[in-house]
Amino acid sequence: MGIIALGAAVAVLTGAGAGIGIGLATAKATESIARQPEAKGDIRTALLLGCALAEATAIYGFVIALLIILSLGGK
Amino acid sequence: MAEELMEQLDNHTAFVIPILGGIPVPDSCVVTWIIMAALVLLSIIFTRKLKKVPTGSQCILEAFMDFLDNFFINILGEKGRKYVQILETFIIYIGVSNIIGVFGFVPPTKDINVTAGLAGMAIILVQASFIIEKGPLKWAKSFLNPINLLDLVTRPLSLCMRLFGNVLGAFVVMELIKHVVPGGVPVIASAYFDLFDGLLQAYVFAFLTSLYMAEALEEEEHEGKKVKKAKKKPQLHGGK
Repeated sequence: MGIIALGAAVAVLTGAGAGIGIGLATAKATESIARQPEAKGDIRTALLLGCALAEATAIYGFVIALLIILSLGGK
Repeated sequence: MAEELMEQLDNHTAFVIPILGGIPVPDSCVVTWIIMAALVLLSIIFTRKLKKVPTGSQCILEAFMDFLDNFFINILGEKGRKYVQILETFIIYIGVSNIIGVFGFVPPTKDINVTAGLAGMAIILVQASFIIEKGPLKWAKSFLNPINLLDLVTRPLSLCMRLFGNVLGAFVVMELIKHVVPGGVPVIASAYFDLFDGLLQAYVFAFLTSLYMAEALEEEEHEGKKVKKAKKKPQLHGGK
């Protein structure tokens, strides 16, 4: 069980990448809103889409971790 | 604790239909029926006495539908108007099923089979719209590019996993919070994880489906696209 838990923990490390990605995207979005406040709506839509796509990697990591625990650590 | 969580993750069978050796009906299916019934009932109630000049609840209904119509037509273009209804159905159904956890039901989207079905429907819709708009010959030709063939697998897989993972992740975090702090805090956390995240995922699902569809609808006419973009820009600046 110990090594399986470790494997699941490594899979969840994908969250770091998603965090960095969303942080960068938000930084750029705030910058561009400050530069061009009139394009706020468009920027928000693009940011939301980008965040959802970047977040997906973290979600995949979570699903894989869960699958590792469920299929290997069950019995 | 761990076993309790694992038990929550399982998909329970609600009842078994006693024909053909018994067909098991899972919880997600029953909750989907409840959602369908509620949505159909609400639709009937709200569209019963429609007037030319809207008053009361009709104003809210029209504003909501206008918002959805504009959102999808902005992405698909005027050509995609006939596909707007099914995308709206997607966003309303997924939105409701994601936030139904608030009312004490098990969200159907927590079952991977439901999200897989939704993603499969979405990708069939995209391909069907491609065939309707451009004919089966061009559709078959598009697979000469192996990336398109790969997209046929990766797109539904990522749609399915994104929705499932998000709902399941929110569910697990909520269970953990309930376990650690039973009072007060779960209400605040639920507002984010159940309401905000659920609606956001419904939005993302429909948004991505319509983006794939827009790609299928107007891939070849580069000239038409450029003219449209040039027209769009000044409008945006003028509007805000």
